[in-house]
This record gives sequence, structure tokens and C-alpha cells, in this order.
Amino acid sequence: MSEFLTSIGYGGWILNTLILLPLAGLVPLALAPARQAKQIALALTLVEFVVSLGLWWAFDPADPLMQFQVVAPWLPAWGINYLLGLDGLSLFMVLLTTGIMPLAVLASFNYIARRERLYYGLMLALLSGMLGVFLAQDMFVFYVFWEVMLIPMYFIIGIWGGHNRLYAAIKFFIYTMAGSLLMLVAILVMMFEVSRATGAPSFAYEAFLRAAPGMGALAPWLFAAFALAFAIKVPMFPFHTWLPDAHVEAPTAGSVILASILLKMGTYGFLRFAVPFFPGVALSPVVTGIVVGCAVIGIVYGALVALVQPDVKKLVAYSSVSHLGFVMLGIWAATLQSVQGALMIMIGHGLSTGALFLLIGMLYERRHTREISAYGGLAAVIPVFSLILVITALASIGLPGLSGFIGEFLVLLGSFGRYPWATGIATTGVIFAAAYLLWALQRILFNRMEHPENAGLRDLSARELWVVLPLVAGMVWLGLYPRPVLDRMDAAANRYVQLVQPGFRAPPAAALGPAPREPR
Amino acid sequence: MPFDPSTPAGVMLALLPEVILSVAVLVILVVISWRHAGPVDSRRAGWLALVGLGGAALALWWTAAHAPEDPGIGQMIATDAYRFAGSGLILLMAAGSVLGALGYLEREHLVAPEFYVLLLLAAVGMLFMASAEDLIVLFLGLETMSVAVYVLAGYNRGSAYSAEAALKYFLIGAFASGFLLYGIALAYGATGSTNLLLIGAQFSQGQLGLMARLGLGLLLIGFGFKIAAVPFHMWAPDVYDGAPTPVTGYMATAVKTAAFIALGRVLYTGFQAATLDWRPIVMGIATLSMVLGNLVALSQGSLKRMLAYSSIAHAGYLLAALWPGSPLGISALVFYLLGYGVTSIAAFTILGGLGRGGERDVTLAEITGLAETRPWLAFGFAACLLSLLGFPGTIGFMGKWYILAAIVGSGSPLLAVVVVLASLVSAGYYLPVIMAMYMRPARAPLVHWDRILSGTARLAVAVAVLAILLFGMWPAGPLRLTDRAAGSLVQSSGQVILGP
Repeated sequence: MSEFLTSIGYGGWILNTLILLPLAGLVPLALAPARQAKQIALALTLVEFVVSLGLWWAFDPADPLMQFQVVAPWLPAWGINYLLGLDGLSLFMVLLTTGIMPLAVLASFNYIARRERLYYGLMLALLSGMLGVFLAQDMFVFYVFWEVMLIPMYFIIGIWGGHNRLYAAIKFFIYTMAGSLLMLVAILVMMFEVSRATGAPSFAYEAFLRAAPGMGALAPWLFAAFALAFAIKVPMFPFHTWLPDAHVEAPTAGSVILASILLKMGTYGFLRFAVPFFPGVALSPVVTGIVVGCAVIGIVYGALVALVQPDVKKLVAYSSVSHLGFVMLGIWAATLQSVQGALMIMIGHGLSTGALFLLIGMLYERRHTREISAYGGLAAVIPVFSLILVITALASIGLPGLSGFIGEFLVLLGSFGRYPWATGIATTGVIFAAAYLLWALQRILFNRMEHPENAGLRDLSARELWVVLPLVAGMVWLGLYPRPVLDRMDAAANRYVQLVQPGFRAPPAAALGPAPREPR
Repeated sequence: MPFDPSTPAGVMLALLPEVILSVAVLVILVVISWRHAGPVDSRRAGWLALVGLGGAALALWWTAAHAPEDPGIGQMIATDAYRFAGSGLILLMAAGSVLGALGYLEREHLVAPEFYVLLLLAAVGMLFMASAEDLIVLFLGLETMSVAVYVLAGYNRGSAYSAEAALKYFLIGAFASGFLLYGIALAYGATGSTNLLLIGAQFSQGQLGLMARLGLGLLLIGFGFKIAAVPFHMWAPDVYDGAPTPVTGYMATAVKTAAFIALGRVLYTGFQAATLDWRPIVMGIATLSMVLGNLVALSQGSLKRMLAYSSIAHAGYLLAALWPGSPLGISALVFYLLGYGVTSIAAFTILGGLGRGGERDVTLAEITGLAETRPWLAFGFAACLLSLLGFPGTIGFMGKWYILAAIVGSGSPLLAVVVVLASLVSAGYYLPVIMAMYMRPARAPLVHWDRILSGTARLAVAVAVLAILLFGMWPAGPLRLTDRAAGSLVQSSGQVILGP
């Protein structure tokens, strides 16, 4: 496989193709009749996924640095380059994104009935924007993608969302923007520091990484600016209030993308930028206390609030707050296991929570309600649906053999040595997760059927099976044989752990192998 | 072959754009004196005005190509790239306003070809402001511009609001001119000159005396009125609201541009030695304008008033660009003026199309569901609003980013934090407009069918929206020009180029 990929020069064009293909797809989408918009979008996202699969083989697991780099000058006077790259942190985020998108499109086939062209166009733009966030290796480009991606999601929630969609959409937008604007100032401050240190302005990630230790007294402020942007996106405990609103109001595909991909951008940002730039600040006792404290509160609080939600979508939304608390804990523990575990949870959560939202969406399309109390006894009526829902919920709980387990186990294992108390409390989150999900399953699938409307429900159609089965397969695969995935994230996780070691300074570019070609 | 601006013929060449435009004004005046009756004549005057603006643009291009690098000290007219950038912006915005007004005036039954004469006269004044190297020339230009714009503000004779706008603008404007003139007098008293380069040379010798400081303060107040910065903004909402929409767009863009270009030259050439004196004042006014403009805009029901307050906030951003006192700041100022001007012209033109006869009340509730029937209009308006918000992918973002870079580059990120927080607040009133257009259903099925732009307005909006998006993605070209303009201004006042 890798020989074949090399022979077609895969590494040279893949990242550009991933970003540009969806944008190019806007042209046929705009020209074709509105009825065919969904087929076009599905075809494009599928092609995108197939193309991106090559990364799995072409990726060199031993290399901790950026691979497949492409660079083109954008604003040379400011050292801004369109600089893309991919390492073990972003590889799975990219694959997750390209993998989820066709399913999200397929899941929208019946749900989206008006202004389809606009909808699928926004989906494609969103795909491009999200990949840009994970691939950008230039801080300016990263910021642009990070913000631009807001717009499609804002419209998807605001136009095709539920009853209270306008409130949810503007809340989502303003929360995210509030964080990221300060990040922009921080990026500029760092750029001038880079410029002073090296004599040439640059927004390149590696240049920032090298210049970051020289920030001196500004470091806590800069870290705070980055951390705020990412903490809102994650969302960490006190900043999570936009999430339930956005999830509940968004259409199914919007919720799926939010949960599976958008939230990961926050944790990705911590892993890639906030902590490696300022390990001295991030891992100082005070900040650690705050972050780990908030993570643990988020784990327990999210789980407890999920327990009492009458709306099943809200339940899953709060479960995300809880799960991402584990990711934050793993990032801050900064051991190899905990970081790998955090990445595994990010992938596993992407699969299982995405699938949960998809299944809820299918239920909603049948009954037009998301109240848990409106269901009951579905297992006998729609057995296939129920089986898949059970598997997905178990994966989300973290049952061994499914995707959720390995990540949470690694995080707890890796964090226990550093924060025994916090890890101990976090463990209860696993138990609570079992409680709220199993209880919800019981009320939806197993209790006595009290609503006669439920007796006539159709089971999953072939299309719907195609939507969820890939995710189920992914959950089982990750649960049973995570080795190849862990192998591929190993080097990058290791680099993160090294970068945040006290006293460690990023070696100069020469020691890191060939530097990206500087266009001048 | 560069001309010599110290000879009378050279001065005429240096003033070629102004001369051409003045001639165009006179020609149109002659034409309309016997062709004055119907819409056809009004339209003809409009097209003639466009021709005049085009001629002035060509002349500008020629003058810029042939102007001497260093005209020597003591000239009344600047021939640096900064002037040409400012003049270009003014001509661009005047042309945009004319294009927007062509259909609007007919729809509102305001057909009188003098409109275009006044508009061009104001543009002549603005060009003088942009090229003034001397405070007297600056004042003359400002008055020429102001008097014409007073009349334009009251152009809708049938509307009491328009009359109120004109009267308010006139009274406040006269007041502001008084401040400005007194400031000029004090600066003259302190230095014995009205030439900015000579004033700058005087001040660079030593500390500013009390008289010079007073003069600087009064000048700042006078400009503060013209750019509608807080606390000198009180007139702006009513005047912007009452004036015909194309005039509002003209005031919000071209007038502001001319005033800022002149202010930049006064501060960077004349009072460059006093940077530390004016920086705190500029920072204070900028902060107040950003905070108050954005907060009050949140509670506006009428879109026009909302844009008026937003333009007050934008005056704050522009002042923040002046604050660093560096070439980067001037470059950011000019670039932001381009971005803001292009965006605002398009926004006001669209707003003019959204209203229908006596359009005082284009509110959020009026335009719900616009995107379903008028997708391109809604798209254009959304692009403008996102650009005003400073969203990535639009020219407004690049402008704001450049301002932030200038502020941060001067070593103190505090004002940058104010700028971004103010931008965040502005999302609170720009986004609901987009929401209304895209996310709320229309009140009735056919309610938007008559909201159309005239062909010329459509052209202006299409070009502007393309510019918003293209320069938002590829700003390198305009940035090179503004960098050069900033370099020329700062060089002529003898400051060292800092660079990014």
C-alpha cells in the first residue's frame, strides 16, 4: 500500500486536496438542481474519506514531527505562510473528521427538507474548515480556520435547528468568539516576540514553540488567552453552558459534528498549543489545581446532571462534558499513557457520542420528541435499533472490548501517579456514566410500553444502518485491537510529554530534521 | 519626469485631481442649468459625475506617477504616497455613493441633479484635505466639504428628519470648525507657521509649550467632531438617521476618510514630536468610542441608527490605529479605511435598497426571511456585516488584524484587548441582522419582492462584496500600497521606519 501511495506522490498533494476538495465541491453543488444536492455532498464526502484513508498507510509512525508538509506564501512580509502538516495528534482527528462527515450527510437525507443546497454547501465548507484547524501549522492560518468554521455551524444550528435555535446559535457563536479573540491578541504578541528573537517575523508553529520560553512575565497572560479559547470549545466545566443549548437545538448532523469533531478542537488546542507553548505556566501548581479541579468537577458534575435530564439529547450533551473532563485530566497528567488515553477518548467519544446523536436523531424522526418519558419498551418493537443503541451506550460507558474503555483506562492509569486524589474522584465518573446511560436505556428500550404510538415504529432502514454500522465497527475495532492506533500516536504523544517536561526546551530546527521550506 | 511643485505650473500639476474634479463640477453645473426637469436629467448628471470622478482618478494616477520624491519643505500640497492613497479612497467612495444614489433618488422622488454637484464639491474639499500639507489648506478643504455635506444631509426637503439632520449637522459642524480654526491659530501662534512640516520642525527642537498643547487639544476636538468620536458624537445618530441613505453612506465613509487622513498627517507630521502628549488622548477617545458606540448600537431598533452607532465604534478602531504613533499604525489606518469604506458603502447601499419610500424604519422585524426571496441581497448584506464585525475571510478582519498588530507591535497590548472585546460586543448587534435575514421566516410570502437594488447600486454592491472577500483572502496587494503610503508619510516627517 505505501509503495503505491509513494508512487502517486500521495504525501505531496494529500493535505491540499483534503482542504480544497470540499470547497471545489461547492461549484457542482451550486449548479446542480437542489434535489441532487444530497447525493453530490455524499459523493464528495465519501471521496474525501477514501482519499484521506491513505494517510493511515502513508503516515510514518516513528516520526514525531509534521509530515506531508505543504507550504505556500500568503503574506510574506509578515511571515505568514499557508503551512499545513500532520502528525500523530492530528492524524486521527483528520480521519475522524473525514469519516464522520459522510455519515452526517447521509443522516441528513430525510431530516433536511428545505434549502438543501445551502445546507450541504455549509456542510462541505465546515468539513474544509475543520480539517484546516487540525492541519494548520501556521498560527495565523490556524486562527483563520478556527474562526471561519464558526459560520457554517452557526447557520446549520440557526436555520435547521429546533425551536429555540436562534438563542442557541448566537450563544454558540459569541462564546466561541469571546475566547478566540483574545487568542488572536496572544498570537500577535508572540509573533512580535518571535520577530524580536529571530529577526524575522513568523507565524510558524515551530517558531512559536521555540520562542515561547522567552515570553517571561507575559507567559501567564498568553497562556490564559489560549486556554480560554480552548476551554470554551472543549467545553471545560464553568464554560460549558453553551453546549447543551447548541446540542439540543442543532439538527442531528449538527449535533454529531459538534460532539464528534468540534469539541475535540478544544482538547486538540490544549495538546498542540496551549500546554506545549507554556508548560511552565500550565503545569504550575496553581494552574494545575484549577484545571484538574475543573476537569474533575466537569466529570462528576456532567455525569450527575446527565442523570436527571428528561431530554435524551441533553443527557448525551452533558455526558460529553463528563467525557471531555477525562481528556483534560489526561492532558494535564502529561504521562505517555495519559496522553495516549486522552487521544483515545477523543476518538472513542467521537465515534460513540456521534452514534448516540445519530440514533437519537433517527428516533426523533419517527416520534418527533426527545423526551425520555415518551418512550419505553422499544426493544421489542425495533430490535435492531435497540441492539445498536445498547452497543453504542456501552461503548460510551467504557465497557472493556469497546472503544470507550481503553481511553479511560489509560487516562486513569497515567494520571493516578500524578494526581491520585483527582483520579480517584474521576473514577466515580465511570460509574455515574454507567448509571445515567443504563438508566436511560432501561427507560427507553425496556420498561413497559406506555405510549401506544411506540408500537408502530419502523426499525432502521438500510440507509440508517449504513449510517451507524461503520461507527459500531469502529467502536468494536478500537476496543479489541487499538494497537495500530496507539502505535501511530505514540511518537507524537511522546513529543508532547517531552515538550512539557520541566526544563525542556525545544531544540533548534536543525536538530529536528529538515525544516519546512521557507518561501522567500 | 517629475514636476516641480514650487513653481505655479507645478502646483497646478500637483493639484491636477482636484482641478479636474472642480472642472467637472462646473461642467455639470452648466449642463443642469438648462437640463433640470426630470429623472433623465438627474441620471445624466449622475453619469457625468462618475465621468468626472473617473477623470480625477486618472489625473491622480498621473500625478502619483510623476510627483517628485522629495518636494522640499514649505509646500502647501503634499505629493507623497499617503496623499494619493487617501485621495484614491475618497474618489472610490464618492463613486460608490454616486452609484448607490442613482436609483435611490428616483425611487424616493428626490430628483434634482444638484445632488451630484454637491457630492462632487464635497469630494473636492475632501481631496484638498487629503493633500493639505498646510493647516490653512486643510481648513479650506474641510469647509468646502462640510458646507456641501450640510446641504446633502437636508436633501430630502419633504422630510422633517432630513431637515433636522441638516440643521444639527450644520450647527455642530460650525462649532467644530471653530474649534479647529482656533487650534490652527494657536499652533500658528506657537510656531509662527501653518505648514505642518515647519510646525513639526519647530516642535522637534524641544518641548511643546502651553499654547501648542492647547492648539493640539483644540485640533483634536475639531477632528473629533468630524469623525464622530465619543464624546463628540452626539450629532451623528440623528444626522445619519435623517439624511438620505446614500448621503449617510457618503458621510460615514468618505467624510470620515478625509478627516482621518488629515488627522493622520497633522499628528504624524505636525505633532510628531508630541506623540507622548497626544497618545493618551487618542487612546481615551478611541476607547470611549469603541465601548459606547458598540454598547449603544446593541439597543437600536432601526438598522440605520445601528449602523450609525457602529460607525462611531469604527471611528474608535481607527483612532486605535493612530495610537501607536508608528508607520505600522498609519498603514493600518489606511488599510482599515479601505476595508471600512468599501464595506460601509455596500452596507448603506443595500440598506437603501431595503427601504421603500420613507424608509426610516428598516428594522430587524422588517427584513426577516430576506434570504429566501432575495438570496444575493442577503448574502451581500451578511458579507458586509461580517466584515464590519471583523470576521476572518473578510477585509474587515484583515483591517482589524493590522490594527491589532500595530498596537501590539508598539509594545502595549492593552488597547488591543479593548479592541477585541469591543468587537465581541459588536457581534451582539451584527449577528441578529444575519439571523433575521436567514433564520427567521418572512412575515408574509411576498413581502420582499419589491426590495430591489437599481442596476448601478447592484454593480457597486457586487464590486464591493467581491473586494471584501478577495482582499479578505489576499490582502497582500493593498497592504503593500498602504505600507508604502505610511512609509512616505513618516519619512517626510523624518521618523525612522520601524517595520513589522
